[in-house]
Amino acid sequence: MLISTETIGKKGADAIVIGGGVMGCAAAYRLAKEGLSVLLLEKTEICADASGRNAGGVRQSARDVRELPLAMYGVQNIWPALGEELGVDVEYVREGNLRLGRTEAHLEKLKALAESSKKVGLDVRMVTGDEAREICPYMSDDVLGASWCPTDGYANPLHTTIGFYRKALAYGAVAVTGVTVLGLGKAKGRIRYVYTDNGVYEAGRVLVAAGYASRAIVNTVGIDVPVEREDEEVFVTEQLPPMFDQVLGTAEADFYGHQTKHGSFLLGGVSGLQHFTSNHDDHPTEAYTAPSLVRGIIRFFPSFANVKIIRCWSGQFDTCVDGVPVISNVEEAPGLTLAFAFTGHGFGISPAVSIAVKELMLDGASTSIDISGLRYDRFKAKQ
Amino acid sequence: MKRYEMIVIGAGPAGLSAAIEAAQSGLEVVVFDENEWPGGQLFKQIHKFFGSREHQARTRGVKIGQNLLEAARGIGVKVVLGATVLGIYKNKEIAVRLEGEVRNCKADAIVIATGASENMMTFDGWTLPGVMGAGAAQTLMNLHGVRPGKKILMVGSGNVGLVVSFQLKQAGCDVVAVVDAAARIGGYGVHAAKLARTGVPFYTSHTVVKAVGAEKVEGAVIAEVGADFTPIPGTEMPLDIDTVCIAVGLSPMSQLADNAGAELVYDPAKGGYVAALTDEGETSVKGLFCAGDVAGIEEASSAMIQGKIAAAAAARDLGYITAADFETKAFGYKESLAKIRAGMFAPGNKGRTDIVQTDEGYPLSESLLARGFLSDAEAAAFPAAGIGGGGGGPRPVIECTQNIPCDPCQDVCPKGCILVGDNITALPQIAGEKACSGCALCVGACSGQAIFLVNETYEDGYGTVGLPYEFVPLPQKGDKGRALGRDGGELCGAEVVEVRAGAAMDKTPMVVMKVPVSEIARARFFRPESEGGI
Amino acid sequence: MAVMVRVKNDAPFAAQPDDDMVVCRCEEVTKGEIRKALHDGVCTFGEVKRFLRCGMGLCQGQTCQRLVLGIISRELGLPVSGLGHITGRMPVRPVIMEELGKSTEESKEA
Repeated sequence: MLISTETIGKKGADAIVIGGGVMGCAAAYRLAKEGLSVLLLEKTEICADASGRNAGGVRQSARDVRELPLAMYGVQNIWPALGEELGVDVEYVREGNLRLGRTEAHLEKLKALAESSKKVGLDVRMVTGDEAREICPYMSDDVLGASWCPTDGYANPLHTTIGFYRKALAYGAVAVTGVTVLGLGKAKGRIRYVYTDNGVYEAGRVLVAAGYASRAIVNTVGIDVPVEREDEEVFVTEQLPPMFDQVLGTAEADFYGHQTKHGSFLLGGVSGLQHFTSNHDDHPTEAYTAPSLVRGIIRFFPSFANVKIIRCWSGQFDTCVDGVPVISNVEEAPGLTLAFAFTGHGFGISPAVSIAVKELMLDGASTSIDISGLRYDRFKAKQ
Repeated sequence: MKRYEMIVIGAGPAGLSAAIEAAQSGLEVVVFDENEWPGGQLFKQIHKFFGSREHQARTRGVKIGQNLLEAARGIGVKVVLGATVLGIYKNKEIAVRLEGEVRNCKADAIVIATGASENMMTFDGWTLPGVMGAGAAQTLMNLHGVRPGKKILMVGSGNVGLVVSFQLKQAGCDVVAVVDAAARIGGYGVHAAKLARTGVPFYTSHTVVKAVGAEKVEGAVIAEVGADFTPIPGTEMPLDIDTVCIAVGLSPMSQLADNAGAELVYDPAKGGYVAALTDEGETSVKGLFCAGDVAGIEEASSAMIQGKIAAAAAARDLGYITAADFETKAFGYKESLAKIRAGMFAPGNKGRTDIVQTDEGYPLSESLLARGFLSDAEAAAFPAAGIGGGGGGPRPVIECTQNIPCDPCQDVCPKGCILVGDNITALPQIAGEKACSGCALCVGACSGQAIFLVNETYEDGYGTVGLPYEFVPLPQKGDKGRALGRDGGELCGAEVVEVRAGAAMDKTPMVVMKVPVSEIARARFFRPESEGGI
Repeated sequence: MAVMVRVKNDAPFAAQPDDDMVVCRCEEVTKGEIRKALHDGVCTFGEVKRFLRCGMGLCQGQTCQRLVLGIISRELGLPVSGLGHITGRMPVRPVIMEELGKSTEESKEA
């Protein structure tokens, strides 16, 4: 329910979370559940940006080993019972991920990716084209082979994000939407103030989980992370009868996607020009992106030619220079915790990230999941 | 990539007018429309339009559509049908689906003229087959030749509800009731009156609470509403109908403007979310214009002028006309727009319930507002609607009692005996009764079908009433039946003594019926014996 | 979008007689589902849409947006203008993949 803006008094809390996406909402839930008073600040509305625009992959394969522990922890320990925990259907399905190749070069690339994941204990293996077609019979004969990770899957990012948000409220968190964070400030050496277009908020612990906007926010206390914007597009088809439960991708990233519980396919990808579009601010779709994705899809799945697309949208990656996020406390500004730069693959690890973030914000000493490769100060010049 | 100087999206009145205006200034123009026929809603508007000569008043919408299309093609505009614009991207690039593929092209200026869609309302059973938009019913009838049902409940008494109800009657359907939750009929009184005199009952302060039926609509329940517009228990009334038509307003189809990055604003007076526009119709995206219902719900006459203003502005911006030329054009167009946007139904007066008298100071007819017809006493009080002392010979009685923008009666009268003046929302007055030659041009020209020719000296004890009659079969001289009052109630026996259906009447024939002199101030419709008028 | 301060709603959800009325026909979302979601914390059109799918179907909210906005406005006591709306997105009419796939820079003159 809504209360008047005056009612929250001095705008203070034990912890402030900046960003009403899946990362912010999940962290707000974990912190509130620990008994902290939590204020969640969001610029527009809950689940508005990348959390409301991504295709919902819950994937371990083809991840950088620095973030793979988060992915594996989530799949093994959180995702299977997350719906029950949140009291919403997160539509989690764990029926595997096929990453498809049409040439020998594709297969080489897939094999290399699979090998690196195997080393840290993930079950991912190469299958032949025929084996892949046995798993998912709708593919064209062009598919020569694929990597196969049977424990990958997908979930509904909209339900998941709003589920975390509702649970945060239920544990007493207060969410203020329509508020733009302008910057941060310290008091006596510790992080203290969050300056907004709706006044100053105060807390001893502040989490910045605002996607690309995080960079400008942390800049105000002298911290920087090399992250840039990149536009990706997703479209949704009309509802179709249930066809298959696997998540699909390709070696060349022609497209990715899956069939959702309600029958529509969510399919997404990039055009190749995504770093260099002229307008990153308004989330426009580009004339060339969806047609390019469609051509890729029909090559692998000829029967999709007559399937209707009903909506196409654009979302924004906060792409980090080394392709993995920053999940870290900032010793230079005690009380400040960062969780951004997810580079387009944050949703699947979000439940595990929220546990790591909670631990960072509560005692800061250690985390139960290894995130040692994701510190904020890891970025160095090449020589 | 192909780049046009102007792309117009939507071949309705606004779009075609914009295209013609731009082409006249020398721009290369293409018009895309997703339908297989051009004209937008015009081609199902079989009624005569209001306004003045410059607005093509007393011309039927379908004819205006044909005229616009001929003018557009005549001046070299490319009108492409079956062409669905799917999106507008940066740099004024559009994707259009055509002949089984999506093609992209660009323009220096784009005019979005995509119109509106019908609003729905929820009530028990609203998803049953047989519940449809009034506009959809009109499409079925007038474009596909299919009656939407036999017995109709019309929900909503704005001009769409009234006009479509009349056309349903023309198509042979029984309009069982027109309901409106408001206490006043929302559309023009003349539209309501021409329905009421055929016997269609109006229920203001009523709403539909239920459509009954297992697989399709087999009946409905209406009920009176209180001040908060919720039904009053105990006032429910079942109706024997098979179709519910919903005419509760339109919403601008602003998606393409939004998709193009134009700023939207929520404006209930314009029908919901619309692009924020300059007074030239330009959106926040330079060179992207909106005109017609997509810019705010009005009607076709203003849509045409908006299209011209937008196109003239684009022509100026692209260097085809000078700023001074534009000012001259825009001044005239804006004046014309102001003329059509005046009167008690002007966009600025939408939703007002506090207008109680005409500009001339006559009290508005409460009966007309609540029940759709002038009471006999009220009729007598208006300058041109009363019978007055009356001398011999025919003369017009004009039951036009609200300030609406319209003057064809003044325009067509060859004797100059009908006066509206320059302010076209003024009530018409009879200038000199003696001058009337009984030519009946005014009867055919009145878009509201509100003019009657009366003559109390036809025969000893009998007079005649000439009335507009747009139904088939057309009664013939010698036919007998009953004269009906303004409320549709039977008054007395009547005999047709003359029918005027020549080209000058433009398909609004005048049926002249003989009635006792005592009834000529009340008799306003004829029901033939064949339809139970015995 | 207006500033909204959102907290847990301790009052029990109060059912209404017409809660089973379908509001979004494409996705078969009822008035009661929308009211319950609002009771449990979502506050804007976009949030209702993401949580319940109303407006995500073939008509893309052309029919239900107005109805859903009315319900949110009444339930939360907020003006419609601050509740957001469906973003107009390409394709504004459904299009089959084969046809869209033919869209290129080099396509024929339209």
